Amino acid sequence: MTRPSDPQAMTPSKPGRTRTAPPQLPDDFWTRPRMRTYLLFDATGIVYLLVGLIALRVAWALADGAPAWDALLQSFASPGYVLFHILALISAIFVGVRFFRLFPKAQPAQIGPVKPPPPAVLHALLYAAWGGITLVLLAVFGGIWP
Amino acid sequence: MADSGELRKRTFVVTRFDPDKDQVPKTQSYEVPCRPEWKVLDALNYIKDEIDPTLSHRWSCRMAVCGSCGMNVNGEPKLTCKTSLAEYGDTVEVAPLANFPIIRDLVIEMDGFMEKFKAVKPWVIVAKEKAAEEGTYRQSPAQLAAFKQFSMCINCMLCYAACPVVAKEPDFLGPAAIALGHRYNMDSRDEGAPERNEIFRGEGTVFSCSYANECSEVCPKHVDPAAAINQSKLLAVIDWATSFVVKREK
Repeated sequence: MTRPSDPQAMTPSKPGRTRTAPPQLPDDFWTRPRMRTYLLFDATGIVYLLVGLIALRVAWALADGAPAWDALLQSFASPGYVLFHILALISAIFVGVRFFRLFPKAQPAQIGPVKPPPPAVLHALLYAAWGGITLVLLAVFGGIWP
Repeated sequence: MADSGELRKRTFVVTRFDPDKDQVPKTQSYEVPCRPEWKVLDALNYIKDEIDPTLSHRWSCRMAVCGSCGMNVNGEPKLTCKTSLAEYGDTVEVAPLANFPIIRDLVIEMDGFMEKFKAVKPWVIVAKEKAAEEGTYRQSPAQLAAFKQFSMCINCMLCYAACPVVAKEPDFLGPAAIALGHRYNMDSRDEGAPERNEIFRGEGTVFSCSYANECSEVCPKHVDPAAAINQSKLLAVIDWATSFVVKREK
């Protein structure tokens, strides 16, 4: 039913008057829907780590000249890379949506004389910025603009 | 009185721990004839009164105000006086709040929580107290609204039981304590924000929070500690930056 959490969690600095049992966690805490979503969010960090390593590989290929660059582009067309990039896109959308959902309430009610806009306006601004930047990047890397 | 036809037998799997006998907590099952309108606390009180007087659990007000009866029900931190049994099936697991040392059965050790509370200086700090003849401190509705939500905490500790950071970082101040510190930082009467922000910039405070938002999901009073913590992050940074420009008296 339960398993120990960190043995020192929420323990007072001085021992209590009676012996206590160590703190417990529900055995299946990670299977609960909210916690599962949070763990998935945490797990996307692994995807970003791999994206970072691929970015290093890209920089390496750039430094090695045209043949290395062509070979890299060819390898990106392989099913493994395509699948990974789809996974990276899903991860980015998942984290983005979660971040945008939680972002408005992380804004202080007031900073000096400045008040943040209402949550609905903040949401709209965030999604508009996301969409706009995506379009610009697609236009630049697709060779359409400038 | 309702007749027995309205009663539904449920099995309660309850955590038991006797510090004089047990090395680790164990579970014990009880068959309880539950009325449809019962809360989880009613069933626990039935067990205590009618089946097993040795069961220990905390409760007081029965109306979600005192914050005493927080427990893990089927793994979720809940106020048992507010949680209807209609939400559950034939088996209900009741355990002490997660992430707290267990004193006995469903009773947890609160001293560590109280120490964390004290650490955020949860009182109005002013450089110079107003004399009584100068009158009362006045606040506008807008000034009250800036912190009122964060002052609704009943110290039930459900947020600590839900927080994944509390489970792995024993030094983490935790949701309720940070929300309380933020409540005073947002209070127009208070001048102690620089002191608390210094605490918030330290180890195991606001920047340990990974914004899982679990604390706000389980809060029975909609205090939204996750909002308080994440607002405090930005305010603590702004306070650090302005400290280079604005001279502060120690």
